[in-house]
Amino acid sequence: MKTLTAYLEIFRVQFKNNFVREAVYRTNFLTSVFTDMIWMAVEFSLFKVIYANVPNLAGWSQDQVYFFLGTFFSSDAIFTIFFQRNYWAFGDLVNKGELDILLTKPVNPLFLALTRWMSLTAIFNLILGLGILIHYAGPAGFEGGWHWLLVAFWLLIGVTAASVLRFMFSIWVFWTDRGWALSRLYYQFFQIATKPDPIYPRAIRYTILTALPFAFIGSVPARALLKGLPAWEYAGVAIVLTTFFSLDALLWKRGLRRYQSASS
Amino acid sequence: MKLQWRLATLKNGLQDATAYRLEFLIQILSSALVPAAIQSVLWYAMFVLGGKTDVAGMTYAQMLHYTLTSILFTQIRGGDNDFELAEMIREGQLSNYLLRPVGVVEFVYLRGVAPKLLIAFFCLLAGMGAGWAIGITPERLVGAMFLALIGNIIHYQISASLAAAAFVWEEAYGILMVKNMIVSLLSGELLPLNLFPPSMQWIWKSAPFYLYVFGPTQYALGRWSHQEFLMQLGVSGLWLIVGWALIRMSWGLGIRRYLSLGG
Repeated sequence: MKTLTAYLEIFRVQFKNNFVREAVYRTNFLTSVFTDMIWMAVEFSLFKVIYANVPNLAGWSQDQVYFFLGTFFSSDAIFTIFFQRNYWAFGDLVNKGELDILLTKPVNPLFLALTRWMSLTAIFNLILGLGILIHYAGPAGFEGGWHWLLVAFWLLIGVTAASVLRFMFSIWVFWTDRGWALSRLYYQFFQIATKPDPIYPRAIRYTILTALPFAFIGSVPARALLKGLPAWEYAGVAIVLTTFFSLDALLWKRGLRRYQSASS
Repeated sequence: MKLQWRLATLKNGLQDATAYRLEFLIQILSSALVPAAIQSVLWYAMFVLGGKTDVAGMTYAQMLHYTLTSILFTQIRGGDNDFELAEMIREGQLSNYLLRPVGVVEFVYLRGVAPKLLIAFFCLLAGMGAGWAIGITPERLVGAMFLALIGNIIHYQISASLAAAAFVWEEAYGILMVKNMIVSLLSGELLPLNLFPPSMQWIWKSAPFYLYVFGPTQYALGRWSHQEFLMQLGVSGLWLIVGWALIRMSWGLGIRRYLSLGG
């Protein structure tokens, strides 16, 4: 309990520091909001064009896809707020030896590495994402009522999936020295997450539900909220995320053994 | 001398991009194959799962041909040189280049276009090797690649003009990111532009972005006549002039405000 309190206190201080830093750069806030709004508009336009030609896509109506986009944007915004910058900085931690300082602290270095930077400006994106989700919930057939509580649960699943996946693409920097290409590769694959998984052919769909679970970021949560999942799929989500979590932890330990402290 | 520095810059750009060969290869393959795979999946959902036989006048096979052919040109368009320019202005590194007897905008372009020329060469070879299967003739492919390369210049001209916003605004990278997102949709990289409903067609027709991917793909696949192609070459020539004027104006105004901080 004491340890948990200590970690919460560290998190609170990190949050406060990031808030102060971002409050100074107000134009950066506006830029981030604007670029993300355009990104959302492009994703919407893409589906708008597609639905101008077909009435539904793999059994998904236009409103259901927009509900999926709302879920996906919300989940991605939470990931951006708490983790994204830390993963971009992860390569430097290893390459430039910046990990040294974290290793000397009396707390888990991975906790520090993944909570050091926050992009609090993305809170606006979260509001936008939730706005979209709420707006299209009714037309998409979302039951509402107590099911709204499930939205928080599934957004948490989405963020967890994004985080364990991004970690898996970042950790190899201990072995490759340059993590840039793999980070870019992650964002190429990330595009898969911007479409509902039922549209994918069986082999790809199987892959994005198991080996590369990008569908867990927005598609599976949206599907679970709108249509419900069979029991085996709930089990699948738990098994895949646990496996990724364990692999990430193992690779982190192995990576630390290879770490050579470049700055020394 | 004039040609010498340009050739040296091209060589330097090529060496820089291919210094980490595996990374270069991963970058090209992933940026080519993943968007194409996603596009193919959309057609799969519309035609196979949705049971459609015809969408916007195109069959499933025609959509797949479009996707496969467009890969050859998506790798030619754009680059990150505009971000480099904006960063140089923001951090004051531009000063180092202003002292040299070369145009900084052209220098950055040449360094960035070098790997694109190499990719264009390999895309031409790949297109000629595999293109026969879907009826692409070598002369159409060469013409299409030429148009794609002109598109690359236009793209850079617009990008460099937007990067000049860094003279007055530190966060100019935001404009460049927005531009890239709009280009990804309006260049025909995500889907054939004739899928746009008639009421929205004016959007892509009034910008030059369709000349980057959609135009070359249409010509390579024989959906544009030679006459249409020549007309579009004329249009691209006009955009080149507009782009040149934009650069002259934006950089002329910007450089007067440049404070050379840092660097």
